Amino acid sequence: MKQPVPSRQRILDRIRAATPSAAKDAFQLASAYAALPRTYTRRGSLSAQARVELMIQRLREYDAEVVECTPAELADAITAQLAASGRLRIVAPSGAPPEWMVTSAWKITGLEWTLDHDLPIDEIEQAEGVVTAATCGIADSGTIVLHHSATEGRRVLSLLPDWYLCILCASQIVETLPEYFSRCQQPPALATYISGPSATADIEMTRIKGVHGPRILVVIVVRDDK
Amino acid sequence: MSHAAPGHVSLDPRFAPPFPQAALQMLRNPQLRKNVAHAIDVIQAKRGKLVAEKADWQELRSAASAIRFHVLDNLGVYLEQFEARCTAAGGHVHWAADAAEARQIILDLLRQENASEVIKIKTMTSAEIQLNPFLQAAGVSVFETDLAEIILQLGEEDPSHIVVPALHINRSQVREIFARTMGLKNLSSDPKELTNAARTYLRKKFLTVPTAISGANFLVAETGTVAIVESEGNGRMCLTLPRTMISLVGIEKVLPRFQDLEVMLQLLARSATGERMNPYTSLWSGVTPGDGPQRFHVVLLDNGRLSILAKTKERQTLKCIRCAACMNTCPVYRQTGGHAYGSVYPGPIGAILTPQLMHMKYAQTLPYASSLCGACYEVCPVKINIPEVLLELRAQVVNQERRQVGRFFDLMYLGLRIANLIFATAWGFHAAQRMGRIGLRFFTRKDGWIHALPSLGAKWTQTRDLRGLPKLTFHRWWATRAKEGK
Repeated sequence: MKQPVPSRQRILDRIRAATPSAAKDAFQLASAYAALPRTYTRRGSLSAQARVELMIQRLREYDAEVVECTPAELADAITAQLAASGRLRIVAPSGAPPEWMVTSAWKITGLEWTLDHDLPIDEIEQAEGVVTAATCGIADSGTIVLHHSATEGRRVLSLLPDWYLCILCASQIVETLPEYFSRCQQPPALATYISGPSATADIEMTRIKGVHGPRILVVIVVRDDK
Repeated sequence: MSHAAPGHVSLDPRFAPPFPQAALQMLRNPQLRKNVAHAIDVIQAKRGKLVAEKADWQELRSAASAIRFHVLDNLGVYLEQFEARCTAAGGHVHWAADAAEARQIILDLLRQENASEVIKIKTMTSAEIQLNPFLQAAGVSVFETDLAEIILQLGEEDPSHIVVPALHINRSQVREIFARTMGLKNLSSDPKELTNAARTYLRKKFLTVPTAISGANFLVAETGTVAIVESEGNGRMCLTLPRTMISLVGIEKVLPRFQDLEVMLQLLARSATGERMNPYTSLWSGVTPGDGPQRFHVVLLDNGRLSILAKTKERQTLKCIRCAACMNTCPVYRQTGGHAYGSVYPGPIGAILTPQLMHMKYAQTLPYASSLCGACYEVCPVKINIPEVLLELRAQVVNQERRQVGRFFDLMYLGLRIANLIFATAWGFHAAQRMGRIGLRFFTRKDGWIHALPSLGAKWTQTRDLRGLPKLTFHRWWATRAKEGK
């Protein structure tokens, strides 16, 4: 790598000269950081039920389709959504649990599940839909958090197909963004926060759904909290 | 950037006309003013509603302001930390002192990749260093992928806003641009159809172009994370499909810890687009095997930022998270739109950032492009006291000007020097008052107002009346009052 070392050094030297009040050591830095005011709301105040309801309401405001089911009903719920969408070529992450696929396999003729074991991009692009799990839901903003684990898939998987079914457990839903961050004691190497389907307002501030990401977002909320 | 296009002003502060001159040109364009006002009304209404529902808005602002100040105070150590973590995660970090160096680093990286094409996520920083024309001249085809940026690129227009860069262009103008450049004769001006045209136009590019360039909204020192917030998904495409990714980032964009995003993300979307959260936020650190680009470069850009860091009052300029709330609320921006500022950073933040990035050598009229009403300070999610910096910069501009030899006989400075002599003594002050009272008596009408003054004074009375002077000065009144023993 042909890196001009002088620039790095020059910039850092100039920063040092410009910041005489910088912390002298790691301890000073940590205490200055700890002293920063954080009086904003960290914890939500809603009941568990109201929290899930708020999440669902926010998702619907984004025009996402939302259905609820019990853990036992999940496979049927997935089948019902696939059947309603009429989509047959479906991709899922490599770690997708087999029970997602059992019922649908014999109820929908022509349905084809493909797990993403390093699928070529073209194949993902040509899939008609994708099903993944999630890491967290943030009710306050209706945000779905993906950390791209084996059940959530690599980033491109939930991006290219036009129809995206996300499975979110009620126990994964928090009320506020800070509550999600306090759950991330180990920050993820990759994360995607999704708040509604892809959208733009670049032409006269008119909100249009589906520019490049999936145009249709379906969320199954699994009521594992009851 | 198309300097020569008719009806356009340059966005290079070195060549742009002074603000008052450029603004006049914009004020004469009713279509542009209508487009800008409409877009701003929509954003403002949405923002207002969502900020009002956030009970802890002021607490979030205070936290954000404190975090950003803390970063600036300790910028060196946080940048080094970011560099170490990003490198450990498989990324490469480059440092660029100025625009030319950043452009060259990026071009060298593209040459190593044998890249003849590059796709881009919207980045104002790349517009700041005029990257696109440089790469095109070097034989690299650049494809913008943000809808607004496509509109600008295909229409050979310049950005007029930092979040919604094409807000000065309406749907029928977009239709005209797309129909002409994409060869779609039957396109309607329905935003949905226009958006679809862009989707189709870009899909192939995403799938085939192996190199991408982005900016970044935040860097996280603790984890080496880069954060990009967006709406359309073009960012996610660029971040996952190419094999090489280059992110150009101003050195001030770093945050101490991952958790600090909980403050910034809550403020940014609400301030920028009036949403609780933008549709997509992507975070990544370095390279992840099997997911996304396997070669990742960050170019850290100074380009004038350090000269701002060194100054006490001005330093707060660098707290900016580029949400554009200040321009959306600014009464001046609303009338002129963004191009009048002659910079890729328009509006109140542009009025303080641009001249400073130019080391106060260009764009000296921008600190005056404000009524000092303070609306920008009130909405700023990181509490930048923009009016305070505007005043500081005005003082610097005045100090520069009065030292110029050519300005020695400038009427204003001549007048101020004379006033300085007269007002230096109480005797001179009182004498001047007396003469003023006698002089103004001829122009004061029966209603007690002065409606017209001759010569230089006309500059004032052209647009507003002046109240006639009262019978007694305060000093005289006070002296009489004391004598009468009250």
